[in-house]
Amino acid sequence: MAKKGLDTTTIIERFRSVTENPQGYAKSLQEKGKLVAGYLCTHVPEEILYAGGLVPVRILSSHESQAMTRSYIHETYCSFSHDCAYQGLSHKYDFLNLIVTSSSCIHMGEAFNVWVRFAGFEGKSFLIPFPHIIETKPAASFMEKSYGEFKQFIEKLTKKHITDDDIEKSIKVYNHTRRLLKQLWEFLRRENPPITGPDVSTVTLASQFMDKQECNELLEQLIKKLEAAPGKGKPGVRLMVSGGACDDMGIFNLIEELDYSASLIFVDSCTATRYFWFEVPESRPDKLMAIAEGYISRIPCPSKDNVPGTGEKKRFRFVQQFIEDFKPDGVVFLYQRFCSPQPMDIVALRPILDKLGVPSTDLELDTTVPVTQFRTQLEAFLETMKEEVPLG
Amino acid sequence: MAYTIKSMADIKSYQNNVYRNYLFATEGLRAMGSTWSVLAPLKGLGEDIHLIGGEPHAASTAGTFPDEAREDIIAAETGGLGFHSCSYLKLFTGEVIRDKIGITDRTIKEGYPKPDVIWTTHLCSQHSKWYQEVSRRMGGIPMYAIDMIGGGAAEKDPKIVDYVSDQIEAGIQWLQQVTGRQYSDEFYAKAVRNEIKVLVLWGNICALNMHAPAPLDERRLIALFPPAVVDRTTDESVRLYEMLYDEVKQMVETGQSVAPDQRYRIVYFGIAHTYGHPEMSRILRDVGAEIVASVYTFGTCGNFKGIVDGKWSWEPIDPAWVDVLDLSTRRKATEELVKIVLAWPTWQGVRSWWALESMAQAMVDDFKADGLLLAPSRSCETDFRNGYVSMQRIFKGQIPTIEYDSDQVDVRKMDLPGAQRKTELFVELMKARKERRA
Repeated sequence: MAKKGLDTTTIIERFRSVTENPQGYAKSLQEKGKLVAGYLCTHVPEEILYAGGLVPVRILSSHESQAMTRSYIHETYCSFSHDCAYQGLSHKYDFLNLIVTSSSCIHMGEAFNVWVRFAGFEGKSFLIPFPHIIETKPAASFMEKSYGEFKQFIEKLTKKHITDDDIEKSIKVYNHTRRLLKQLWEFLRRENPPITGPDVSTVTLASQFMDKQECNELLEQLIKKLEAAPGKGKPGVRLMVSGGACDDMGIFNLIEELDYSASLIFVDSCTATRYFWFEVPESRPDKLMAIAEGYISRIPCPSKDNVPGTGEKKRFRFVQQFIEDFKPDGVVFLYQRFCSPQPMDIVALRPILDKLGVPSTDLELDTTVPVTQFRTQLEAFLETMKEEVPLG
Repeated sequence: MAYTIKSMADIKSYQNNVYRNYLFATEGLRAMGSTWSVLAPLKGLGEDIHLIGGEPHAASTAGTFPDEAREDIIAAETGGLGFHSCSYLKLFTGEVIRDKIGITDRTIKEGYPKPDVIWTTHLCSQHSKWYQEVSRRMGGIPMYAIDMIGGGAAEKDPKIVDYVSDQIEAGIQWLQQVTGRQYSDEFYAKAVRNEIKVLVLWGNICALNMHAPAPLDERRLIALFPPAVVDRTTDESVRLYEMLYDEVKQMVETGQSVAPDQRYRIVYFGIAHTYGHPEMSRILRDVGAEIVASVYTFGTCGNFKGIVDGKWSWEPIDPAWVDVLDLSTRRKATEELVKIVLAWPTWQGVRSWWALESMAQAMVDDFKADGLLLAPSRSCETDFRNGYVSMQRIFKGQIPTIEYDSDQVDVRKMDLPGAQRKTELFVELMKARKERRA
């Protein structure tokens, strides 16, 4: 439980400690008598787990160079999926009460299969069938039915009936987290924000592991402190990151440690803003439908984004809105090597950015961040912008 | 003596005509999309709908024009598509970028004919994104992608059948709106019956390979595949497969085969890549080793009994069953179509490890395999790459099993010498096993 009067550094360090040892944090929850469910994709409706008394903890990667997953998953699946599979195979999470995912991209689906098939989770796993195209009208009713089955499974697992009231409370807790995280990111719109982009990213990442009530208390304190805090210094070139899952904070730190002054001011990814930039409608009579509508309204994952009738990529609307609101000088496309949907979005997104006059560059992620190469590429990128933006 | 398939010329001609119609039709509508789409809904718009399907067209272009195919892939990569992306997608998009298209009768047409609509499907993480990119490059073609959420007995899950049916019915409304045409449920029902019949007949033809000698080899199976993949909704496609089914039954009754020297029977998992690499198939052929069952050619557009009592069955479905299906309303026709398409082995395996393993075990058993050849395609994330590694674990104790990486059309991604050595080793393993058992 957070104590009153913590300073911003202490609060941020508390969040950082969770990201550095998520297993330790999850175990501590269990030691307090809570059930803990690991989840592999952010399309899992955490609200249902939470309503059933389980704390959802996201399974992310650990960026350790490992070879063992090559005996389980094909090498041309992305390193993020390998690394997430590795978390199961290395038995770091054997203590979990459940592993759950929703029909996800093929690579992450396979990471889940490895947990189920080879890491000892066959008897304590659940796959939620989830639409691959979320914008269709029939998707909502399909999701509602899927969520109904998932709810029944949780009730059986916990031997506890989940009431509408339980779900409503859970929706409210999660929406509160979303609003607080949004408020936190809004600080980065300022010319001289009181918190850095890497710290905001760290807090957001930590929220994906944490019991949301504890997370909310810390977030409330942090935001209150930041409202009165001075800026952290004049920012340099404002950079936005757009792409796939990236839980390696090293890359975000690198952006702010270049020879030229640069600031991370927005991250469009499922490990950052795409995780929470939506809300589930509250006080609706049909709770599961409300959750379905909330998740449909999310910024779509590129693997699920195709508006029927036009083929539009709805995510692009959000990206353009973020560019308007956060005013980046440049965009860094950041995606996992071997990821299919992200780079296919970039082909279509780059001309839009060109029209907006926002330059961009690509970085391809692997298990570890190649710091030297990325540094060179990012500094070269900044140099290409020097006519428009003064370099510090 | 090797048997020569009499129906082959007509089937080849059917394939050529479908593509020629797409290229040169002066009337009617052009529709582009994945082979893995339900096609019958398009046919409710009329009998003048000309189709071009992504995967079969890309595959046949690679086989017909290897040099053009290479240029197409390079053009797509230069245009921004990643090296690791699907090579069917890149070849197909490359033709659009180069504004020229080659078809199986060796015609190359300058000026890629724009489709009126894109009607497609989505299963892997880039399947419908393929056509989003094509649509964008062509200036915005109206596009409708159906989410075929599948995996493991999906056709028996009413929630999934409803979901996919609802999307198709909404798609039919969209087709009417975007084309301005009246929709004929009579045409639709007829096309649905044809589509289901072709899928069931293809399953029956493939299942005849359980016999020894297997009447067909992989090369002929691919060559006979077009009616199922280029347009399976027509009376002609049904007629061709009825004719072929009778012919192959006759082959079985008289013990004939297109490849009669069958000392080793191979079950194959992977997208057919050997047409790009005759060096590979020659190693097998020289020792009388034939691929007699392949989940890709059998199950991409073919139906079998599937999961029965929790276990996979490659037994065929009685074609007469199709004739009595109740397709009297749009909804009934749609649901029957959805159930048959969701039951394709490929759908089942891509998103379900247990269905994949069950169908592999049944294929090894039912087709009496001497060896299992796994050739995952480096650029296809749904080509059962999800299951290959665990399948090696399962089968290596049962029968000789090898795996090498391949690619469906991008020859740059193949380690040819390495794959050749592995195939030679595979042959030696099968020989040794046979000798041990003799």
